[in-house]
Amino acid sequence: MWNKFLQRKKPVIHPSAGTSGKNIFTALAFLSPTLVIFCTFILFPVFFSFYLSFHKWNMFSSDRAFIGFENYRRLFTDPEFWMVLKHTLVYTLGTVPLNMVIALLIALALNRRIAGKRFLRTAFFTPVIISPVAAALIWRWIYDPNFGLLNYFTGLFGLPSVNWLNDPNTAMIALIIMGVWKTVGINMVLFSAGLQGIPDNFYEAADIDGAGRWAKFWHITVPMLSPTTFFIMIMSMISSFQVFDIVYVLTSGGPLGATKVIVFYMYEYAFKFFEMGYASAVAYIFFAILAILTLLQVKFMKTRAGYRAI
Amino acid sequence: MKIAQTFSHIFKKENPLVIPICTVALALSFTQCGAKKEKASEKVTITFWHSFVASTIPALDDLIEQYESENPKVKIKAQYVPTGDALIQKLITAIQSSTAPDISWIHSDFLADLVDANAIYEMNYFVNGKNGLSQSEIEDIYPALLQYASLRKRLYCIPMEATNLALVYNVDMLKDEGCHPELAPSNWEELEEYAVKLTKDFNGDGKNDRIGFFLPIFPAAGPLSGWMVWQWIPYLWQAGGYIVSEDQSEVLYNSEAGVKALTLWKNIYNKLNLRTFTTDYDVAFASKLVAMAMDGPWNLPRFNRLLRNLNWSIAPLPKGPVKEATIAGGEYLVIFKQSDHPDEAWSFIKWIIRPDIQARWSMRSGYLPMRRSASDVPEFKEYLLRHPNFKVFVDQMEVAQVQRSLDYGALQVTRHIAEAIEEATLGGGDPQEALDKAAAKSNKVLQSIRRNVE
Amino acid sequence: MNPDLQKSSRLFKDIIFHIIVYSLALVTIAPFIWMLLTSVKDIGDIFIYPPKWLPSKLHFENFSRAFQAAPFGRYYLNSIFVAVSVTLGQLFTCSMAAYAFARLQFKGRDILFYVFLGTMMIPYQVTMIPSFMVLYWLGWVDSYKAMIVPGLASAFGTFLLRQFFLTIPKELEEAAYIDGCSKFRVLWQIIIPLSKPALATLAIFTFMGTFNDFIWALIVVNSEHLRTVQLGLAVFRDRYVTDWDLLMAGSVMATLPILIVFFFAQKYFIKGITLSGIKG
Repeated sequence: MWNKFLQRKKPVIHPSAGTSGKNIFTALAFLSPTLVIFCTFILFPVFFSFYLSFHKWNMFSSDRAFIGFENYRRLFTDPEFWMVLKHTLVYTLGTVPLNMVIALLIALALNRRIAGKRFLRTAFFTPVIISPVAAALIWRWIYDPNFGLLNYFTGLFGLPSVNWLNDPNTAMIALIIMGVWKTVGINMVLFSAGLQGIPDNFYEAADIDGAGRWAKFWHITVPMLSPTTFFIMIMSMISSFQVFDIVYVLTSGGPLGATKVIVFYMYEYAFKFFEMGYASAVAYIFFAILAILTLLQVKFMKTRAGYRAI
Repeated sequence: MKIAQTFSHIFKKENPLVIPICTVALALSFTQCGAKKEKASEKVTITFWHSFVASTIPALDDLIEQYESENPKVKIKAQYVPTGDALIQKLITAIQSSTAPDISWIHSDFLADLVDANAIYEMNYFVNGKNGLSQSEIEDIYPALLQYASLRKRLYCIPMEATNLALVYNVDMLKDEGCHPELAPSNWEELEEYAVKLTKDFNGDGKNDRIGFFLPIFPAAGPLSGWMVWQWIPYLWQAGGYIVSEDQSEVLYNSEAGVKALTLWKNIYNKLNLRTFTTDYDVAFASKLVAMAMDGPWNLPRFNRLLRNLNWSIAPLPKGPVKEATIAGGEYLVIFKQSDHPDEAWSFIKWIIRPDIQARWSMRSGYLPMRRSASDVPEFKEYLLRHPNFKVFVDQMEVAQVQRSLDYGALQVTRHIAEAIEEATLGGGDPQEALDKAAAKSNKVLQSIRRNVE
Repeated sequence: MNPDLQKSSRLFKDIIFHIIVYSLALVTIAPFIWMLLTSVKDIGDIFIYPPKWLPSKLHFENFSRAFQAAPFGRYYLNSIFVAVSVTLGQLFTCSMAAYAFARLQFKGRDILFYVFLGTMMIPYQVTMIPSFMVLYWLGWVDSYKAMIVPGLASAFGTFLLRQFFLTIPKELEEAAYIDGCSKFRVLWQIIIPLSKPALATLAIFTFMGTFNDFIWALIVVNSEHLRTVQLGLAVFRDRYVTDWDLLMAGSVMATLPILIVFFFAQKYFIKGITLSGIKG
């Protein structure tokens, strides 16, 4: 019935009209501005970092000593590395699902008939706009065990005050809460954009057929959102994995290293101990892990969505 | 509409070259804008990188103006660089791109790396040169500062001013508790006693509403960990201890003295039920949430505004079981080898450390002079009389020490000490164990460096 | 069911719904409100306990003091100039690249796309020094070029637009191709108008990201006349000392342009753009 509508609109890539010989040429034409800048300012530094990971370099001098796989070997035998990896995974698992669910709910809510949409959207987006440093400073105050806003608030309800950022058990939770707060607006905006791209006729046709709200959500919204969802999931995972600013300002990896994440560990070796080679090695192992996780997600999406979402 | 038509006409023929050409044209156009027009001048420009906070900038501007009027051929370009990591990153990129300044502030954190990279001049080159310093002038500088400015027995930087650590306290609060407001806590026992007395839970909710003494506990891996260690070290010295042995072969901070010092901190931490502040102490102090804290002189100009609603005062650090001591610091200047005008840069530095200039600079900026004879300048003497708080800092310079030189591994050792402090206080661990654990790590680092160096 | 009962139960549900959403919005915006209120407080008022939201006296001079602490007027101009340039540039380059990845068939397309994605996974802290070296070799250190050109390409932006382009039904383009339109024309006249939500989204993120950037501006800029607002705000934070009142005032000033851009770009999110071009 109206499902047929859906199937007909599947965004499958057909062979384009035009001879295939010209294809690469045309493609290059479209890609060239991006490619030129990309290769110069993004790709080259990335490869240079890879090259650095086999060296020892304190960055102040121009001498770089080649040390082969020494950095990598050191990395794998450092217990601190595995600890920070664990912390990063915990943080990611804590923020990404929470973030996506809340963002989707808000985007859906804002899609309905509701008063003051512009204000609401702006309100949910303000955490994203505030510079990470200013936001982290404010939250540091909010979490202050003696004089902060959060403990004051919970105190009003008779709850005991929590030593948020200084208790190894609660510090990560505090970070996750702040992390979700800071980024939910981004995903909300992305979901909103995705929702706008779903044509009204689908919903209208479904209404005519008497489909309920849940059916509409599950059979129209979810599938049509899948490219957006895929994008959000990948980007959220990448950015959670790369969390740094808020850790740096809020907890500095403390207390007692309980919130040290990989990028913080890497940053320390780069700019505190001046071992850029080692830091680069960390970056590449980080990349490998993240790439594997992303591939897994891609496979997951491919098998679930009949759509070409990817 | 016409524009759209023209556009579509150009692109109708699907000429794939058009886009790359446009991109290149765009990129080329960029190379035109931003081209700086350099005016040839006979003036020598010295770039000076610093991290002075906003409140100190007027004093700096005055200083520069005076120098430029005395030396019309020279222009000093002072550029603010955010301190801490930002300074490091800027210096790295500057050195790599050959855009290093002539003079810059540095922190001892990376002095060793700068020296290893052969990026800075050895100061003796200038001190012993034609426009150098006489022996008496050198001796006039507080020896502790010169020691800190040296690495591997060579002088690599010159202190621009000095600082040390003292106690700042709220006079009214101490009076109310029957403490001696004139003397403040004069030794460790009194420090602990006052800290406990001054800590109050006014509304009985189990949370302390006022903290008697702000113990500076920060994450060991964070940007303030060095600051925390810097404030703990005087206690180590006051108990008669040292960080490292004279021959730098092993660390000594886990000695009895170290344990005593760390135990003092641990006791205060526990007795005050201190759940570490995540806000800065100075604002907490201004908000009457803290009774006593430690700080350096650089905040004095700010305090005049910040603390105007309080009755506050400065006292020397409490005396320890063995002796009186505080820690000296300051901002150190280096001259980069990439500089085109090292001699002029040196002249500027030499001028800054003149006693009368030091006196003026000190009075305006709140920093301390780095040499004794500045205190002989009449205006300065008067200033001290009118500013007893500042006088405390100046007087403390006599008992201000610096760490023994650690030519290699200083960063790691500082980190290990920080971890020990964090563990004993926040982590509730035993001071001796925490220090021993840290010392083991430090000794390992020292030994491996020795092996590499020999 | 009684139609009146139906109406009032729906009204009730509506009210509950509004309450929930507005409460959530209030909680989310609370830190920002606190920042606004703090920017006009006296510094002794900021951290008192119990926390006081409203300032006892309005200190608007915090703004003028902050503004005078450094040449913020110039910094503002620089920040806006750079952010606008990068945003426009990215809209241009990313839409073309995204179109290539979404619609064109060519060898190595998918691999190239994954390379793009891959570069996003390397933390910038290790690539920023090498990136700086590139700038140095080009001789662009301490210039506007250094702040703008590297930002003109974006894997994130390309990825975002590509995903969106994939959702646009092919039929529209097919019709255009049959009419003999060039690829570029299809992009310009069909895809782009339909992608306004995604383009607006990218514009917002890019503008904001560039405006809030600190570290890149820090390392490529020395001269005073090129500095941005974020660099200016750093003067209120020393290693050990934060000038909270000025920092908050400065941050509010830094946040305003982005808020304005966001508020107005929102109209692209409001429904009204329907793909009514699909006829039977």
